[in-house]
Amino acid sequence: MIQLKTMLNCIDNSGAAVVECVQVLKKKRPATVGDRIVVVVQKQRSFGSDSTGNSGIANKVRRGDIRHAVVVRARKEMQRPDGSLVRFDDNACVLINKAGEPIGTRMNGVVATELRGRQWSKILSLAPMHV
Amino acid sequence: MSPRLSGQLAQLPLLSIWGSCPTVHGQVPIRTFGIRSLNPPKTSRFDVGPGLPILKSSPTAALERKANTLPLRTGAIATKKGMTGLYDAESGKRIACTVLQLDRLEVISHKTVQKHGYFAVQMGAGWRRPANLTKSLLGHFSANGVSPKRHVCEFRVKDETGLLPVGQAVNANWFEVGQYVDARSNSKGKGFAGVMKRHGFGGQDRSHGVSLTHRSLGSAGPSQGGGSRVYPGKKMAGNMGNEQNTVQNLKILQVDQENGIIVVNGSISGPKGCVVRIQDALKKPWPEVAATSKST
Amino acid sequence: MANSSSILQQLGCVRSLFTTTTSRSTTLQTPMVGRRMLSTVYSAKPDPIPFPKGLPDQFYSQIPKRMRPDLAPKKLKIVPPPPAPQCKDAVAAVTQAQLKTLDPSGKRMRLFDYRRYARSVKPGDIIRVTFKNGDPFAGLVLSIKLRGADTSVLLRNQLTRVGVEMSVKVFSPNVESVEIVQRSEKRKRRARLYYMRQPRHDMGSVENLVTNYLRQKRALAGKKDRGNKKR
Repeated sequence: MIQLKTMLNCIDNSGAAVVECVQVLKKKRPATVGDRIVVVVQKQRSFGSDSTGNSGIANKVRRGDIRHAVVVRARKEMQRPDGSLVRFDDNACVLINKAGEPIGTRMNGVVATELRGRQWSKILSLAPMHV
Repeated sequence: MSPRLSGQLAQLPLLSIWGSCPTVHGQVPIRTFGIRSLNPPKTSRFDVGPGLPILKSSPTAALERKANTLPLRTGAIATKKGMTGLYDAESGKRIACTVLQLDRLEVISHKTVQKHGYFAVQMGAGWRRPANLTKSLLGHFSANGVSPKRHVCEFRVKDETGLLPVGQAVNANWFEVGQYVDARSNSKGKGFAGVMKRHGFGGQDRSHGVSLTHRSLGSAGPSQGGGSRVYPGKKMAGNMGNEQNTVQNLKILQVDQENGIIVVNGSISGPKGCVVRIQDALKKPWPEVAATSKST
Repeated sequence: MANSSSILQQLGCVRSLFTTTTSRSTTLQTPMVGRRMLSTVYSAKPDPIPFPKGLPDQFYSQIPKRMRPDLAPKKLKIVPPPPAPQCKDAVAAVTQAQLKTLDPSGKRMRLFDYRRYARSVKPGDIIRVTFKNGDPFAGLVLSIKLRGADTSVLLRNQLTRVGVEMSVKVFSPNVESVEIVQRSEKRKRRARLYYMRQPRHDMGSVENLVTNYLRQKRALAGKKDRGNKKR
């Protein structure tokens, strides 16, 4: 249930930490896992780690940037074809460019398997874990 | 040239001759001088003559038109028992389904073209105490040699090959697993409902000077210029639900002949225990069983 | 005055007694016209006199139609109904039939029906579910919904420090196996442990417990295998 004004965690190393949803694309309903949204970067990850360069956080985006993103976790439960449900404790997304490729190179955090059915297999393979 | 001048021209006496000349309708050319016939030839208002197509408003034409959209065989009266889910063994998918049950379903009588103008099978289901039936219905049942039935329905069929013999019981195996059916039943009654619930209107503002009409419809139509009336079919508050609804193309998932249980994919209108009429789906090819049932 | 009136009243009573006696005597004398007695109320309806047999045909036309014996309505022959279907609860029948195919041994049912079986999974336990496609999911049991073939169990875990909940339909063909990793030490006093979602009650990740359990299990299995080989 991600809609206008929803704040999401950004779980890649693009440099954004918290983003706000400003638009849900290709849908007239709230977005869920696998949906493409437009976000505004609200909070960047700390610059200190950037200077060392070890953490791998490249500051590719800045606060106030408008980017596309894919939802990878949602608080609202999703139904699987066999009737089981999956729910996460937070809403999270991964920033992508217009072509649909992820901006970051690494991801930290579990994502939902529902990404596979759509065109987001690359994000799924980047993720350390999926449910 | 001013428009007023043209108006003055129209009022000239010369033009008034044209206006006064009688207009003659029909094929006769308009003559303004010379000898005029006192009895101009009259033509019929109707399209008469040889070689016209046969009108399509007759009962036989209606039957011909319907020939492709009438099922070959009769349907069944069932009771909705509730909903559950079935797991597809291969894909592991869970399919929501409705459980229907047939109860002592029998053929009561026929409607034929010769007598009634159409072919149909009258079916009855359940049982009703004879004391609770009208004498006319009781007579109808006893004349056909069928026990008194709780529910009586007609199912139209295409021709006399679809007429099952009177008194024959129809079991759940009348339908085949995998075939498609249409299910019609009365939806759940919602009582007298307002326009927001019944037609999904937006209602009016909570505030901004709106008083006492937060959930009502706004205007019922235009004023003078629009006819100063409410057009027929205007969506208004009224009784909602408890009207017949047909759900088309439901797949049959399970058939249990012993208990008369039919499991159908998806949902069907109405509460548990409501009467559901199921018949072969109109928008799918007729099932193969139709041919076998005819021969038996 | 008061005394005299009271005496008069008493006298009046005496008089009334007299009057009743007199009235009784009068009723006995007067004919009972328009009175209803018990005998009239309960008198039986007189039997219709049967028509004399062998009347000539011309007499029938003189009798009112509703009384004519030859026009009496025929008795309707009411056909007895065929036997009703035995199955009263059709939905339960469908569910039972399905459970028979999904869980023929009844093991899965015994594992989750906590109302009937003491050794079943209970809220607060940690279980590990393996799916057909190979992915396992382990978690704390928050609730068990017993709904026949749709019985489901709600599991909670933390993966990469993010809480994940999964409601698993235990009879789904996608579920390969269910193992109990750890039972709760004390019986939980609630059937639904939704408070475990709150940060101060959250159990955190159960991955450590599960890996320990798996290691033990493997060790046991290895021992067994070795023992078998020795024999």
